[in-house]
Amino acid sequence: MWLALVLIIVLTILSIYGAFIGAERAQQFFNKPSLVVYWIALAILLIVGIAAFRRLFRVPGLLLIHAGCVLILVGGLWGSQGGHNLQKKLFGIDKIRSGRMAIYENSSENHVTLSGTREQKELPFSLKLNDFRIEYYQPAYLQIETADGNIQRVTAELGQQIDLGPEYGKAEIVRMFENFKMSIEDGKRIAFDDPRPGLNPALEVQITPTSGEATTHHVFSLHPGFGHTQGGPKMIYERPPYRAISDYISELEVIDKEDNIVARKDIEVNHPLHYGGYHFYQSSYDDKAGQYTILQVVSDSGLYVVYAGYWMLCLGVIWHLWLRHIFSRFKAKSI
Amino acid sequence: MEIKYTIQGLLVYMTIAAYLLAFVTTIFRRPKIGHIIYLLGFAIAVCSLGYRWYHVRHVPLQNLFEVFLCLGMIYPVSLFCRKALRVGGYAADMLIGAIVLFPAGFVFNAEPQQLPPALQSWLFTPHVAVYMFSYIFMAKATFQAICQLAGRNPKPGENLLPPEEATYRIICVGFPLLTLGLILGSYWGKQAWGDYWGWDPKELWSLVSWLVFLGYFHFRYMFGKKHTRINSFWAIAGMAAIIITLLWVNLSRIFSGLHSYAT
Repeated sequence: MWLALVLIIVLTILSIYGAFIGAERAQQFFNKPSLVVYWIALAILLIVGIAAFRRLFRVPGLLLIHAGCVLILVGGLWGSQGGHNLQKKLFGIDKIRSGRMAIYENSSENHVTLSGTREQKELPFSLKLNDFRIEYYQPAYLQIETADGNIQRVTAELGQQIDLGPEYGKAEIVRMFENFKMSIEDGKRIAFDDPRPGLNPALEVQITPTSGEATTHHVFSLHPGFGHTQGGPKMIYERPPYRAISDYISELEVIDKEDNIVARKDIEVNHPLHYGGYHFYQSSYDDKAGQYTILQVVSDSGLYVVYAGYWMLCLGVIWHLWLRHIFSRFKAKSI
Repeated sequence: MEIKYTIQGLLVYMTIAAYLLAFVTTIFRRPKIGHIIYLLGFAIAVCSLGYRWYHVRHVPLQNLFEVFLCLGMIYPVSLFCRKALRVGGYAADMLIGAIVLFPAGFVFNAEPQQLPPALQSWLFTPHVAVYMFSYIFMAKATFQAICQLAGRNPKPGENLLPPEEATYRIICVGFPLLTLGLILGSYWGKQAWGDYWGWDPKELWSLVSWLVFLGYFHFRYMFGKKHTRINSFWAIAGMAAIIITLLWVNLSRIFSGLHSYAT
């Protein structure tokens, strides 16, 4: 018991230290070989404790709590980088512990850049990105009014098209800007999204007539009417200046080595894809043109052992501290 | 510090006033009237939370203002402790309620915010709600621990437990909630961020809170009868860790991390 108390106090002190050094350094610190020795010692002490203290077998709640802690530690160690190295040595299972992959729209990818390195590894299957989109709480719209009085309105998203009829052809949103700026390079005007603080939301709309060359127009939400041409369609970009993002969505397909689609999922925050021993999470995206998504890839090794430990710990604590007292009270009342 | 000239602010101030009035009435030996005012304060606190819920259109547990609004609804915990656990401390609960609502009324920003993608999960409400309940129980346990250290025992005839035993009983109720909060948070972290444990300062401080109460149980099992005062110090240390987890981690720049949106 003394040893258990000492290990609890040591872990408390280490956790306080870890909280002060930040998540990244704390992760490295708690994965150091000396700390791995501590985790293994803690797991062994718990196993020895379960075997040595006969009282635990008479108190199922306490047994569940301690066994649950063992499973959490074992699952955590098995799912760590060291655990993955051990899996490779013992069973020849060569799994990626964690990494990132970037996938462009309408293309497939199976290369994962490993976390903390530039090394790349291949997955035994590919992921195809059909579409990546950002959803907002307050939607934005592009409205186009042609000279003949025809008004059309679409949500302002990349790739959205409007058929303007035989005279005007078709309009398509080809770029979106949060802070539109122009620069002049070699006598040419080049539009770009300025990452510095500022707000000038704009759309780049390409109008392709049925006969003739395509023309590019910029539509500004804060300057309506700016850039309207005589006789040309009037365009309005309706959106509130600041919009809160409600979701990031990547529409994915899993493709096996024989080019068959084996799974489909629209992944979003809190809804990862689970396939082939990996979880795929929406992690980042192309913030300039929205053309690619960045996924976080995490191995599921040891995960279900940890989850089993969570269940046992929860059931054990609730049984030992709540239910057993409630049942004994009912029993006493019924007698 | 700012005064909120809004309906929300008015409801918070009315709750604080009711709790303080209930406290004063109770310590001036009018416990029945104090109880009625306490109940009235609770009713206003419920209206305040309901109003906020209607206003922001999601469960109001997103930021510190909403969390403290929720913590202010302490009355059911007082009632449960009194009826089911034989633990007193109504007057202290009234004061705790007023203290907890003070930062909601005068310090924290009440600007409504939309839920960021990471918080749009079924785990949002249970994870935060069980933590809030456990924190209220642990605050009550700490008050009992302080009473034990101060040598204040319930009056004979009140049919209440002595403070050391009361501390233990309340921690027995709060600890499973603390465990559930930690595990639900870990499961949610896996769903949202890819790892069930990210070594984030908030995660580590919540682990510290859990470990201190775990240490309390082990210590009490080993020396429960011999060193009863040290048991109480464990409980107070646990509450200190909870305060750091809830406040310092979110308000200080020392601990920037994944939970920063909760400010």
